[in-house]
Amino acid sequence: MNQTVRDSSPSQPAWFRNKRTARPLIVARWVPVALVGLPVAVLLAIVIYPTIWMFYHSLRDTNIQGLFMGSHEYIGFQNYATVIGSDRFQQSLIHLVQYLTFGACLQVLIGTVLALTLYEFVKSNALRTAILIILVLPMMLPPSIVGVLWRFLLTPSNGAVNQALLNIGLIKNHIEWFNAGVSLWSIIIADIWNWVALPLLIVYSGRVSLPPAVYEAARVDGAGQWKVMRRITLPMLKEVIAIAFILRFTDAFKFVDLVYIMTSGGPAQSSELPTYIAFQRGIREFAIGEAAAYAIVIFAISAVIITLFLKYMKRVMKAQGLA
Amino acid sequence: MIAAAAGRPKDAWRHVRLLFLAFLALWILFTVFPLYFMTITAFKTAAETNLTVPTFWPGDWQPRNFVGVFAEKTNFSALVDSFIIATANTALALFLGSLAGYAFARFPRQAGGENLAFWILSNRMFPPVAILVPMFFLFDSTPWGTDSHLSLILLYLVFNLPLATWLMMVFFRDAPVEIEEAAYLDGWTPLRAFAKVTLPLVLPGMISVAMLCWIFAWNEYLFANLFVGSAVRTYTIVIPTFTHGSQTLWNLQMAFSLIAMVPPVTLFILLRRYMVRGLSLGVVKG
Repeated sequence: MNQTVRDSSPSQPAWFRNKRTARPLIVARWVPVALVGLPVAVLLAIVIYPTIWMFYHSLRDTNIQGLFMGSHEYIGFQNYATVIGSDRFQQSLIHLVQYLTFGACLQVLIGTVLALTLYEFVKSNALRTAILIILVLPMMLPPSIVGVLWRFLLTPSNGAVNQALLNIGLIKNHIEWFNAGVSLWSIIIADIWNWVALPLLIVYSGRVSLPPAVYEAARVDGAGQWKVMRRITLPMLKEVIAIAFILRFTDAFKFVDLVYIMTSGGPAQSSELPTYIAFQRGIREFAIGEAAAYAIVIFAISAVIITLFLKYMKRVMKAQGLA
Repeated sequence: MIAAAAGRPKDAWRHVRLLFLAFLALWILFTVFPLYFMTITAFKTAAETNLTVPTFWPGDWQPRNFVGVFAEKTNFSALVDSFIIATANTALALFLGSLAGYAFARFPRQAGGENLAFWILSNRMFPPVAILVPMFFLFDSTPWGTDSHLSLILLYLVFNLPLATWLMMVFFRDAPVEIEEAAYLDGWTPLRAFAKVTLPLVLPGMISVAMLCWIFAWNEYLFANLFVGSAVRTYTIVIPTFTHGSQTLWNLQMAFSLIAMVPPVTLFILLRRYMVRGLSLGVVKG
């Protein structure tokens, strides 16, 4: 019954093989399959089944009654046409770009700057740890606390932010944080506050683990600080920064809770993201078919991005000989 | 130290340094201000939170808010519900994830290869809106329904199981297989070798995975908001509902938020060294 499982297929990339496995472990052939089978079965049930369900209904005129009565008809790609043709969706795509630029990209930029500033310019170890802990605190909060907290802080009439800005003389009148055109910025500010810590933490750890020998060499060669930063630190942190960026980017496509709690997409749909519309159409308005089309469109966009991400990650892991 | 070696630090560099330090200081202020205001609000009276000009120091300290918030019995049970769901989900994710992670680390080809491993990971990144609606109707048709601990315990596997599988794979790869083999040569059974040799080696990694999964489940809002609400209520969906008539009870809301923050913040401070590895999906060593 015990068959030898050999583990030396040349088709495996080097990093994926366990480098330390000189000789293969001996187990029955069914053992690895069974070990992996359980989680895969769970994921098939809770991720793949719903995705197929959504795809099926995105091609049908399903609403809530239709779903329970089982009466819905095939209507081809009409739902997709409705979604892609609607102003609401196109508007939300522009919002998404705004959110990706000032949410995801800016977060990585600020996080990187903060991490390197902290590492290069703050010399005391205790102070560094203290600052790091303080800066990471917001990341430990759930979206519902972040949402209500910022809605509270940004209350236009008697909110703390407006009052503080008035007190130090930065503004003369109250800013209407939840008016059309401003409310998406409010969400972005809250999201930056919440998530800058992720790139910060990742880049900081990446910087800590860079080999000191390289810096010794640069010191001996008499390279200036700026040159060391530009020619050594940043190039060596390229992959780490990219990973942080990609993590924030993929999260951005899942982002919906703060929109829901802070503005409900309003006023007048001015802070809606595509995910929020899918959520709203499917769950509040029960236009299942249309919501499914939204979901599949978002799914398709993020599938492309996730595939690119995983390709890159494979390369990084290969390069680092990780595993 | 690099500057010292370069002779004298250039003037420009000193200015740059000051500029960046000033930015860091400003950012700390930006981070702390909401937390500070949250804390003092939790100590204010209800009347003081609704003044037309907000105060930045409580006029009348009300530490009783932290007790008063539990006058509503459901608030305490919400924390309990969140705890049950997060803990059970973490245990389940960690158990299933360790099985697969071990298989991927030790028998990569027989377990389905790198493509399967990456497919499992990709599940973590897919937007949850794509599965919310069908899962709602699926759970609605089960005997336990949507409004139960079990529904959320299972649903949170959507994001925690891929994470646990992937990270446990990374950690099992770090544990040398030779020791395990030596145990086999001594006549140990695979299970005993796993429990006595490999498990202790990956325990720190396992703890960090458990912590991450637990925090993600503890803080989850979207699924909870849709699926539960009457029989079971997680604390995340209770927080936006602190109202009395049309007035929001900011002081109680903030007090409750502060209490709910304690577990994840404590976990982070204790285990922050392990956290980065997990958050960066194993790519960046902490």
